[in-house]
Amino acid sequence: MASVSMTVNGKAVTGDVEPRTLLVQFLRENLRLTGTHVGCDTSQCGACIIHIDGIAAKACTTLALQCEGAKITTIEGLAEPGGKLHPMQEAFREHHGLQCGYCTPGMIMSALDIVRRNGNNLDEHTIRDQLDGNICRCTGYHNIVKAIEAGAKAMAK
Amino acid sequence: MSATGIGAPVRRKEDFRFITGQGQYTDDVTRPGETRAVFVRSPHAHAKIKSIDVSAARKMPGVIDVLTGAQLATDKIGNLICGWMIHSKDGSPMKMAAHPALAATKVNCVGDAVAVVIAETIAQGKDAAEKVKVDYEVLPAVVDPAKAQAKGAPQIHPDIENNTIYQWHLGEKKDVDAAFAAAKHVTKLDIVNNRLVPNAMEPRAALADYDAGTDNLTLWNTSQNPHVARLVISAFIGMAPEHKLRVIAPDVGGGFGSKIFIYPEEVVCLWASRKVKRPVKWTSDRSEAFLTDAHGRDHVTHAEMALDANGKILALRAKTIANLGAYMSTFSSSVPTYLYATLLSGQYNIPSIYCEVDAVYTNTAPVDAYRGAGRPEATFVVERLVEVAARQMGIDPADLRRRNFITAFPHQTPVIMAYDAGDYNASLKKAMEIADVKGFAKRKREAARRGKLRGLGYSTYIEACGIAPSQAVGSLGAGVGLWESAEVRVNPTGSVEVLTGSHAHGQGHETTFAQLVSERLGIPFENVSIVHGDTDKVQFGMGTYGSRSGAVGMSAIVKALDKIEIKAKKVAAFMLEAAEGDIEFKDGKFTVAGTDKSAAFGDVALNAYIAHKFTGAELEPGLKETSFYDPTNFTFPAGCHICELDVDIETGRVDIVNWTAVDDFGTIINPMIVEGQVHGGIAQGVGQALMEGAFYDAAGQLVTGSMMDYTMPRAHDLPSFHVGLTETKAPSNPLGMKGCGEAGAIASPAAVINAITDAIGTEHIAMPATANAVWAALQKSQAPKAA
Amino acid sequence: MAMTMTGEVQLPASREVVFAKLNDPEVLKACIPGCETLVMSSPTEFQAVAVTKIGPVKARFKGNVHLTDLDPPNGYKISGEGDGGVAGFAKGGATVTLVEKDGGTLLTYNVEAQIGGKLAQLGQRLVNGAAKKTADDFFKNFAAAMNPPA
Repeated sequence: MASVSMTVNGKAVTGDVEPRTLLVQFLRENLRLTGTHVGCDTSQCGACIIHIDGIAAKACTTLALQCEGAKITTIEGLAEPGGKLHPMQEAFREHHGLQCGYCTPGMIMSALDIVRRNGNNLDEHTIRDQLDGNICRCTGYHNIVKAIEAGAKAMAK
Repeated sequence: MSATGIGAPVRRKEDFRFITGQGQYTDDVTRPGETRAVFVRSPHAHAKIKSIDVSAARKMPGVIDVLTGAQLATDKIGNLICGWMIHSKDGSPMKMAAHPALAATKVNCVGDAVAVVIAETIAQGKDAAEKVKVDYEVLPAVVDPAKAQAKGAPQIHPDIENNTIYQWHLGEKKDVDAAFAAAKHVTKLDIVNNRLVPNAMEPRAALADYDAGTDNLTLWNTSQNPHVARLVISAFIGMAPEHKLRVIAPDVGGGFGSKIFIYPEEVVCLWASRKVKRPVKWTSDRSEAFLTDAHGRDHVTHAEMALDANGKILALRAKTIANLGAYMSTFSSSVPTYLYATLLSGQYNIPSIYCEVDAVYTNTAPVDAYRGAGRPEATFVVERLVEVAARQMGIDPADLRRRNFITAFPHQTPVIMAYDAGDYNASLKKAMEIADVKGFAKRKREAARRGKLRGLGYSTYIEACGIAPSQAVGSLGAGVGLWESAEVRVNPTGSVEVLTGSHAHGQGHETTFAQLVSERLGIPFENVSIVHGDTDKVQFGMGTYGSRSGAVGMSAIVKALDKIEIKAKKVAAFMLEAAEGDIEFKDGKFTVAGTDKSAAFGDVALNAYIAHKFTGAELEPGLKETSFYDPTNFTFPAGCHICELDVDIETGRVDIVNWTAVDDFGTIINPMIVEGQVHGGIAQGVGQALMEGAFYDAAGQLVTGSMMDYTMPRAHDLPSFHVGLTETKAPSNPLGMKGCGEAGAIASPAAVINAITDAIGTEHIAMPATANAVWAALQKSQAPKAA
Repeated sequence: MAMTMTGEVQLPASREVVFAKLNDPEVLKACIPGCETLVMSSPTEFQAVAVTKIGPVKARFKGNVHLTDLDPPNGYKISGEGDGGVAGFAKGGATVTLVEKDGGTLLTYNVEAQIGGKLAQLGQRLVNGAAKKTADDFFKNFAAAMNPPA
């Protein structure tokens, strides 16, 4: 066992983990933050995407120990403490960008990174192209694309 | 239409918890003292188990127990079953082989579980699983169903000759043969409907908790139909009496059919929990899912269509071999028979149809229902035949379809189904307008200038949904009735809980069902909760599949609401001191006809419970009603999808440039959700047509066993879709609903392949039509290689 | 899944020397990439343990190896099967032919192998490359073994 400390959604956390423990296991099992999902075991689906120091990463392919001292944001950390949703969360609801909800946390975290990289005026081609690391089996992406476009615009306000 | 009533695009109630990471999927549920199950699985497709040595595994850190199939047999845990009896042509019943939850003597596919480690943590369980020593005697394997039927093929199950489960048929062969003999034109096609892996994003999971104090077992699982799971696990597997077993399917992350079935792992978790007296959780990793989730499709078909000189279809015949894999999954027998051959009439008036189906065991994962289940296979056969016939006869494909459309209803097809309503010309016409078919020739020329071959393909599909009248499916061999239940509980404050036997795993029932109740009772949408997925709360239900939750599940709610109105009127009559017959109910208000006396719904609800205005002898207190609704017919959603695509001449890459879907789903409760269902269905159908395919090598190893090799559509593989609607009400249910969940997946593969073959000028191309396959076909075709 | 591979390597030694070294457990152990133990149980049978990594799957394979069709100094057939536990299995064989060439020996090998389990499921696209690299490494080591350090 090794000790690891990081900041998750603004809160300092410490845990004892086996060196092989993945970040996603640490979040889900140690911290009980179960919004970050595991959809595959080959780093293909993106259901586990979180932010490490502001940049999207797949928590299934990151060791917990690699995140010593890092600032992690998960889906649970997006809404304001008072409960006001992040504009990207709101956009997913408004545009029916989710059905079963399983890929959704990863989609939203990935969408925010697309905005970080490309700004608030996103075209369909950019969104589809850069959503390459996320798989949704329910929506056919149509409404996810619309949600990200609208969410990105709303974030500029 | 109110802002939250029937027909309104209400935003979903369930979304808040999902977009904030607060959904509760099975793996998110934990129980005190929880242990983890890790399965030891066969790396061989076909082998005898000579011995299993678990002694080293037992000594590993954190290991609580290691269990094998021999112990399962000792404890008399029953086999998994297939619940739909099919009889062969000769009248003999289908041959269902034993399917133990843990293989004890022989494995029949890669991934067959032979032992389970119960450990404190997953990591410890995996370490211990490495130490389980299984001595296999490897046997020759067979993965191709035609080869499995051949003489000398490896025998997968004892006493099942030629590995053949049944040889079934439907229709009048004599009539069909006569029609073919007289036909001016015959079109023939050999079709493979490729095997698919459903890949719902949430992997399957099971958490079993045995309470020794009460002898009760609770199972949380990723199920589309928890009550059926409880029934089968209790009645057939003998795990526990039904009243001592509770099944909870919490939030479920997609199903597409694959979570209908009862799987070995949930049986083993229940059994193990009782043995180790602690909760046992198993969560599939994706690698396990590829090997052990029931796959879909996998038909090999020879099909022929006979037409007269005017392009009028005279008859259709098909011979299909269906690969059911190593074991018969829960509803596997029904998919290539009553869900397939009964739809071979498509939207067309075809006088004679004959279909033969052989179902075969192979050393591959079990195959069962996957989105559409039989109907996509039927649609693909019919729509490919029609398209190819039109091209061969020099008739415009849309025109040939129109010449054959059924236009008078009800229409009895030669293959059981009685279509009750539809307007196939309307959906074709509207789709052609939206897709701008008139401008296609010009767009094709423009594409050619960019080095692209443009193609256009139609699919005018039909499906039978809302399954189904219990008496009808019973006569066809189903082991269960396919009604649905609803219980409407009106609280004293006037808020309402609806307990439904349907189960939502992405479909948005918490929203659409509440819309129905809100409109019907005239109460705020927010005051309605939908409860589902727990056998302790909902008395019984048949679950969600076959696009049935609207047509059947909501109809049950309507029936229960009718009873609520009748009872509430009695309460209101006492309150308003009027005759019951004079009470009218509208917009949430009870009024006495011809007076200004009224009572709000909430007041009536309160009075029903305080019962101050009537005695128990006059009227029972309370306001709660139940309905079991059994539909009188299938529903028949239908429509037209048009795919327009470009094929790159140099690489064979296909780009879908325009997709039009015009569907007739009857009454629509929430158009936003319906469109979402259509989008998702198209994506899965396009996936089947262009990229998805589960392939086994000759030794039975799954070589498309991860998301690295099994290609699922990503955002950049698809365009945005143009979705339109036409409407004819379904006469068989009170709401006129038909169902929308499977349409996209049923319609789309044929549209894609019709478009590709139109573009490259070949008669056929096999699915998945990858760039490599299209390029190879292009080399052989006569299509212009450049503009 | 099945795979086949052929190759040849020019060795600076006589066929007799090459053949002897192909039957020498110490030489084989030193040359097989990842080989941890190799124990001869008879002149034509040995047990070996080797660690192999193919793509995302890394496993310790325990296997039995048999030498057949011994035809000194012209060649032999080496075949075996390895059990990698949950990682799966590998089995197969190689026909090795030795001919005199340019004052040394030209060794030709012809491999047919079958893998299964997790190796096939996750590593199949990488197997041919991995096998080629393993063979290349083996023969690089084996060529070096022809000239033992003085």
